[in-house]
Amino acid sequence: MQTQTAGQGPADFTTFMRAYQDMVYTTAARLAGNDAQAQDIAQETFIRAYENFGHLQHSATPGGWLKTVASNLAINYLTRQRRRWRFFSELSGSDSDDAPESEFEAPDTLLADLSADERSVLVSEALKALPDHQRIPLVLYHFEEMPYQDIAEKLHVSLAKVKTDIRRGRAALVPALGIVAARETLES
Amino acid sequence: MNEREKSADRLEQQVDRVLSNLPLRRAPAALEQAVLGEIARRAALPWYRRSFGQWPIPARVAFLVTSVALIVLSVLASSLNTFGAVPLSWSRPAVTGVSTLFGSAAVVARAIPPAWLYLGLGFGAVLYVLMFGLGAFAYRTLYLAPLNGR
Repeated sequence: MQTQTAGQGPADFTTFMRAYQDMVYTTAARLAGNDAQAQDIAQETFIRAYENFGHLQHSATPGGWLKTVASNLAINYLTRQRRRWRFFSELSGSDSDDAPESEFEAPDTLLADLSADERSVLVSEALKALPDHQRIPLVLYHFEEMPYQDIAEKLHVSLAKVKTDIRRGRAALVPALGIVAARETLES
Repeated sequence: MNEREKSADRLEQQVDRVLSNLPLRRAPAALEQAVLGEIARRAALPWYRRSFGQWPIPARVAFLVTSVALIVLSVLASSLNTFGAVPLSWSRPAVTGVSTLFGSAAVVARAIPPAWLYLGLGFGAVLYVLMFGLGAFAYRTLYLAPLNGR
């Protein structure tokens, strides 16, 4: 494999990978909602990083480069998969955008009593449970801090759909978080 | 701003606060070995099995020259055949063979009663629909159902 390593060996790349692998894996896992796919996406991200290692080593923002590549790979993977299986997937009607808007009252605190690890596991599971069309824009908005307009362009959907999907994604997260918070309160 | 919008805004802020404070997930221990293994595997591939951008420059130049030469030859051959100036004698056996094959197929097709043909077409269509339904059922049972249940 030809690389732009400029004389740098695999040991340097291994150090580089160890510094960023949690961030890349987390980005991929949040978007893909599947641990096995996240590992494949993270692997491909680092292979591309190896091919551009010479440039990345001197970059001021290698983390940003890695996040962008991981996000794009995850979105491309999910888009291809959705296109391939669109007919079968949508037979079930589970992705319907015609679901009634739910009224809710936002609780004052969310997961305040849980440890960081417990919160992480809980939110990961809640995110996994969201359909792709809600999870992806929600992750891009809240984790990647991407504006609505950029998300719409990246996903090739309308701005209104992005806003609606993110709002519904948040609303879908709240019951899961609220149920656990209530249980924690009862147990304490 | 009405109550519903206020509630939605408050929810957005709270969800944002919870999500942005989450720690990173730990990458699987196998990731590093998988990446290094894949890099080593790709490095061991011969040049002609890598992407075109990674071919040696002489190989890339030779490939491009050969491709252009083949295109030019094809265009020349096609124009010569069209105008009948210099028929390509080496292509005659192949053309004769293909013509004979299609002629034989046409004779066989004419010998089959039309009812049999329609029956065969209908049978093929039924098989196609059955396989399509089986595929959809398998996909929804083996792939979608576990995903929805996770």
